[in-house]
Amino acid sequence: MEQLISELKEKIIETLDLIDVKPSDFKEDEPLVGGPLGIDSIDILELAMMIDRDYGIKIDNKELGQKVFVSLRTLAEHIQKNRNR
Amino acid sequence: MNRTRVFITGMGITSSLGEGVAAHLDALKSNRTGIRPLGLFTVSGGNLFPAGEIAGFRAPAGIPRTHALALATARQAVPAGAVPDAIILGTTTGGMPSTEESLRKGETGPDAYRLHSTSSVAELLAAETGCTGPVMTVTTACSSGTAAIKLALELLRNGMARRVLAGGADALCRLTYYGFNSLQLIDPAGARPLDRARRGMSVAEGAGMIMLEAAGSPPPGAIAELLGAGLSCDAYHPAAPHPEGDGARAAMTRAIEDAGVRAADIGYINLHGTGTTDNDLAEARAIRALFGETVPPVSSIKGATGHSLAAAGAIEAVVCAMALRDGIIPANTGCTEPDPALGVMPLLAPLEKKPALVLSNSFGFGGNNACLVMSGPDAAREEPSRTPLFRFEAVSSACMTGAGDTEQTIAAIIEGKKCRGLLPLADISAKLPPREVRRLKRLPRLVISLAMEASGIAGSAAKPSSIFFGTGWGPLSETHDFLSKLFESGEQFTSPTDFVGSVHNAPAGQAAIWLKATGANLTVTGGDSSFEQALLAAALAAGEGEALLVMGADEHHEVLSPLFDASVRAGGPSSDGGGALCLRKSGAPAGVTIAPLFYRGSRNNRDVISALIESAGGAGVITKKYAAIFAGMPAGNRQECESRLNQLITATGFTGPVIDYRGLTGEFASASAVAAALAVRFAARGEIPAPVTGGASCPLAGKGILMLGLGEFITAVEITA
Repeated sequence: MEQLISELKEKIIETLDLIDVKPSDFKEDEPLVGGPLGIDSIDILELAMMIDRDYGIKIDNKELGQKVFVSLRTLAEHIQKNRNR
Repeated sequence: MNRTRVFITGMGITSSLGEGVAAHLDALKSNRTGIRPLGLFTVSGGNLFPAGEIAGFRAPAGIPRTHALALATARQAVPAGAVPDAIILGTTTGGMPSTEESLRKGETGPDAYRLHSTSSVAELLAAETGCTGPVMTVTTACSSGTAAIKLALELLRNGMARRVLAGGADALCRLTYYGFNSLQLIDPAGARPLDRARRGMSVAEGAGMIMLEAAGSPPPGAIAELLGAGLSCDAYHPAAPHPEGDGARAAMTRAIEDAGVRAADIGYINLHGTGTTDNDLAEARAIRALFGETVPPVSSIKGATGHSLAAAGAIEAVVCAMALRDGIIPANTGCTEPDPALGVMPLLAPLEKKPALVLSNSFGFGGNNACLVMSGPDAAREEPSRTPLFRFEAVSSACMTGAGDTEQTIAAIIEGKKCRGLLPLADISAKLPPREVRRLKRLPRLVISLAMEASGIAGSAAKPSSIFFGTGWGPLSETHDFLSKLFESGEQFTSPTDFVGSVHNAPAGQAAIWLKATGANLTVTGGDSSFEQALLAAALAAGEGEALLVMGADEHHEVLSPLFDASVRAGGPSSDGGGALCLRKSGAPAGVTIAPLFYRGSRNNRDVISALIESAGGAGVITKKYAAIFAGMPAGNRQECESRLNQLITATGFTGPVIDYRGLTGEFASASAVAAALAVRFAARGEIPAPVTGGASCPLAGKGILMLGLGEFITAVEITA
């Protein structure tokens, strides 16, 4: 799990061009959206696309997205449970 | 007093419900939907959704589907042999249905892309109908068709035309189909606007066209009267509406005021009602805020037609005219259980009734909103009187070129250098906070930097509320990246960020957010005269006394620019950039002023140079009034441009310097925006520096600068101090 979380930090920074964010800036239990990192609803859709591509998991509706993208940890848990690649 | 009124005297409609007014009457009466699983192109696994496709409609070979829809629908609206004085069309896709196919196949010949531009749709209509007047293209995403009708209304009110063909067209293509899907805005069950269980929209295609005529009283065959229209911008988010519907409410309020009526008189509201959770909620809130407890009958037809983007507003204007003439108020097709959270009850069945006044709403990405108010043709009405104001006070100007920002550009040319070339991306946005522009590519960064510089110089003297932006090609980087990712992944993955950024109006929508500019926000395209078109649109749509930005910008893209733009292919170093003017619309402008004088097509228009000279006041006036000419001569049709310039010089005997400014700026569609920004600076100094004239410095001595466009469209803009 911890390895997945640190992998996700790298992927999120790369996917969202968070040029001035370091992996250590992420607090895995803090809200992913609307926090100091400036991640918003379009970024979440961008992350959903990345997770589908890299882990084969579809997060293709708002209701599911709201549950999964609460924090980095909830996201990692969802991927861990459903991943097939 | 015989005030100008504007009547709808012809109309055409094509949607998933059918082709023509009769087919739509029939479909609306029976509350039928045209939404069904997409068949137009094959989609990747798991991505087949219902869409509003026009079954059986085939585009002729070599004509992109959007163009074909526009042509077929215009034929319904324009009586045989009638020639409109002007054409104003809304579209977001333009040639994209063909372009994306050609790019996927790796076509490298420019012929495959000759009708790519959004402006080529209206230009094809002009060629077809023989129109040689102004041809304008509005691309404000899903409100384009409605915004086009607003500009047409103002063109007629200002006496610049007697008969205008206006409307919107968009065909289904992969860009919009996968784009809206990537935003999770598609309802897998088909659009159910205002329904409790709604999940999103159904992407669709279509076209709506209306023939508008200016007259003192209803002309024969008048179908309806266009009473007023209103524009606004949310200045809130690139893709989501303002949650309280503030921008929507402002556009409705402005349309009602412009019509000279009261909200309480509205008998039907045709909703934007896309079926997305956020849009329908924001729109319902705006309506409740404006109409209070007495909301008139409302419905969205997008559960029947689907959402045909730029065509939607024009299609719905035709449906409103049908309501007024034929007494059919359409149902909110697809909705079975209205969402109680909305507090607005849509019509669940069609209503056989003739409303006296209708309001039609259209809202789009970028927070670009547009609304129309229409009535039957015979209603007696007091129209608010207006004086045409076409002259602006130029409060400030800014440009960005290969040499850098305004100061760096001016410094370079005073040293006798050129300012063409490409500024590195980091330099373009050097003054913008990196985190806030991380998702933005080249064109939006250019536009925001220009907007911030021009409004920063203007300072408290003029805080712009409206933005008019002209671009020949729109955001090429986002468009290219979206399609590349889509095709490389076998149409499985793409970037929602790139989709939102790919719409032509995204940069101006961004600028509005940065400047909190909640007035009109229009993006227009017209090839090499896109900037001039933005200035004309501003003259038509800006409010008296209002401060506004008029901008033009284009980015160079190494793959797409040479495919699309003949002037880029013609050679010279790759260049891009743009210009921004902070203006005030004023009856008595002080200091440097700018005014659009002329805008007409050059095709099939042999006398166009004589017409230009005449409209500027004649040969004598031109030599007396102007110290210098800035000539816009795109390399793509250099020979014709030079011959037109020679014709003008010979006819007027003009002896001042003629500045061939593309030699300085390089070749890109909105080079004229840079020229205008520089001309405003020179006018303020009272002198054009020697390296620019190629000879001695040119003192203006109270005279002005005449800026000409001599390519596909012949334009004249006057700058005086």
